[in-house]
Amino acid sequence: MTDLAVALLAAFAVWTGWRVFRVDSMVRASFSLMLSFVAVGGIGVLLSAPYIGVATVFMMAVEMMVMAIFMVMFMMNPAGLNPMMMVHQHRLSIGAGLVAFIGLGAAVLLSPLPRDPVPEEAQVVAQLGHELLGPSMLIFETAGVTLLATMVGAVILSSRQGRYGAADEGARPPGLTEGGEPAGRRPEGGGGHGHHHHGGH
Amino acid sequence: MTLLLALAVLGTLLAGTLFAAVLDRTALPLVAAFGRQRVETEAPDRMNRDLAPAWYLALAAVGLSVVPFAPGLALIDSPVGIVIWGACEALTVVTVFLHGWSPNAPFPLIGAYRYAAIGLPVMLPSMFVLIAAALPAESLSLVAIVESQREIWNVVRQPLGLPLFLVVALALTLRGPMDYADAADIASGTSAEDSGPARAAWQVARLAMLVSVSAIAATVFLGGPLGPVLPGPVWLWLKTAVLMALIVWLGDRVARTTPSRMLGILWVVLLPLSFLDLVISGVLAL
Amino acid sequence: MAVTRFGSLAARAPVPIFAAIGPGRQADVERLLARRGLRRAHSPRDAAVLLVSGDLPDDMLEALSRVHAQLPHPRATVRWIDETADEIADRLRDAWHDLCAGVTDEEDRLPDVPPNEWKGVGPHGQGGEGMMGGTPYGRSMAMTGPDIRDGLQLDRYTARIGPFAPMLPPGLVLEVTLQGDVICDATVANAAFAQPAGADAPELCAGRVVRLLGLEAAADRLIEGKRPGAVWLRGAVPSGLGLAEGTEARGRLGAWLAGEVVTVAPVDLPDFLEGAEWSEAALLLASLPPSAIIRATRPTEVA
Repeated sequence: MTDLAVALLAAFAVWTGWRVFRVDSMVRASFSLMLSFVAVGGIGVLLSAPYIGVATVFMMAVEMMVMAIFMVMFMMNPAGLNPMMMVHQHRLSIGAGLVAFIGLGAAVLLSPLPRDPVPEEAQVVAQLGHELLGPSMLIFETAGVTLLATMVGAVILSSRQGRYGAADEGARPPGLTEGGEPAGRRPEGGGGHGHHHHGGH
Repeated sequence: MTLLLALAVLGTLLAGTLFAAVLDRTALPLVAAFGRQRVETEAPDRMNRDLAPAWYLALAAVGLSVVPFAPGLALIDSPVGIVIWGACEALTVVTVFLHGWSPNAPFPLIGAYRYAAIGLPVMLPSMFVLIAAALPAESLSLVAIVESQREIWNVVRQPLGLPLFLVVALALTLRGPMDYADAADIASGTSAEDSGPARAAWQVARLAMLVSVSAIAATVFLGGPLGPVLPGPVWLWLKTAVLMALIVWLGDRVARTTPSRMLGILWVVLLPLSFLDLVISGVLAL
Repeated sequence: MAVTRFGSLAARAPVPIFAAIGPGRQADVERLLARRGLRRAHSPRDAAVLLVSGDLPDDMLEALSRVHAQLPHPRATVRWIDETADEIADRLRDAWHDLCAGVTDEEDRLPDVPPNEWKGVGPHGQGGEGMMGGTPYGRSMAMTGPDIRDGLQLDRYTARIGPFAPMLPPGLVLEVTLQGDVICDATVANAAFAQPAGADAPELCAGRVVRLLGLEAAADRLIEGKRPGAVWLRGAVPSGLGLAEGTEARGRLGAWLAGEVVTVAPVDLPDFLEGAEWSEAALLLASLPPSAIIRATRPTEVA
């Protein structure tokens, strides 16, 4: 029964994952990806990892929502009226896909997987908590703080309102002495706009 | 027993939705809307447009199914019940977004991303107050959270929790001061292009979500099915009904500010308050 | 019969009305729709009866037909020429009863066709360049442009809103370019209809603002001369919004709630709206008395 449910969820995850590349709008693609992750979360619940499974659903819903917001900002495209191609750089992506598939497949086939079922009375959620906030605390916290710092940094770097005025108007850092030469590199006149990269997936 | 609980969930959702329609005085307009034509917009995303009300209703049902109807008895008695509810909240934001994105019209689209911008920061206080409520129970299970309130309800132990959760409830049910999806300044936003049965279905789902969110609040903060003399389910229904009336009343009486200002309030006032709630309950639980 | 029982139940619901307000009738219509048993729909899709009031200029008739076509079937139109408010309220109720009984309906006045066929130009059928822009279906799609706040390349979308948009003063047609809901560019494509001084009545002005704050019932109570019965009305209006002649939107709402008439000198409307978010713009327009908006949009005429 559980095997059948896992198989169905896995098939659904693969199918929605494939849809990500076949649909013609970024919003549809990100929510297809969300459905794929929801199915993976369901498999997690069935494999006696309820916290990780449900948290995957929760996190993916929020993440894909954020992604969809950015996509609508770049391209409003309501209801996918303007069809667009969801795949590009075919050779590179096929190569990357193959390498990832072979690598992950090999990891699954070669690593010794545990065979004994989880005992009924095991407190899996509590055990996960003790693991995350015990032996794995350093990794867990390092990853968390790094992610937070990255987010704050990205927002600050992309903001126009810099500490010394608008970011694209050749901001001058303050001088080392009062009225003296600005510290560090001198700005080269008006800010050149980088080309904008649109986030097609 | 499972069958009985499933019936209890469905019955509560049905009766609660009717009660919500009466509270909201939308029963007759809903009946009228079901009899009217459904108009097509130009080139909509039909699948998502049709699925959005169904998703919304399904999320309300899933949310209600983790609620214990009697001490120790919930349809989905999961060790992570409160995280399941959190996932329902996050997916509700996605559903409202798709409802506004799919008709292919400007005002629904504005409502959609405006709601997503408000909905995401609303998730954070929601998670913090719910985790704060899980601390005295030492469990993420709603059954355990009910048990932890035998002596004192969380609304007393964590006085900030319920008011903050009411803000979340207003946002999830698209109501009054937190209704940024279907607001008047964008011609009822994500529902601007809905007519006939489609509009009625969306409103019914919105009322059903009111039942779910009130039942969760009653469970987490008001002891759920705990109470003297009367049986558990009756206590749960009474507390849920009181909270539903309170949420409808707040929605009708409190003004809605502009979205950018609300974003500021959410990040600068409500998020730190929810941190404070978490710290207080953490210290008390030690 | 089940159908008639369903219809008679529906007929007891408040009449869902979409109001196309013409010159000189804003105050009358607002007072009428605050009555019990009549409901002001925010969108034509939610309405069954189209209330047309006043003498509409000929160039507004096409827009009126468009609104008419947006009402779902069965639908009815009620014209308000010189009847009293009581008479017109009865006619609106009768029209709704007939619609619920299934005896009346109205056909579209305009042909239901897209302005032109789908014209995809790109290799994947998209309408414009780089998978953005273009005019598929004769509708111009959004195209990226520099954001007015931080210069990011974000999609801009241009639309004409009005003359019967419920959140704008009647008659006003705005051509706005939106980036998200930030107004990058606004031009007045048609001036607001002239309204007599009665439209500046404090309770009506306060009602307009309060409706935008999401408080339908409170707005109706205000128009009937009762207390609004709601909290955080002034506080919900951001301070500093709509600064004109030393008064701001919040102060004007306060004066109206206290029953005072507010007059404001003409403002430069596009300048006022650019940079505001759509909800701020709607609030800002509602916070100006109709006389000020009419003078701002019709500089040469005397209102």
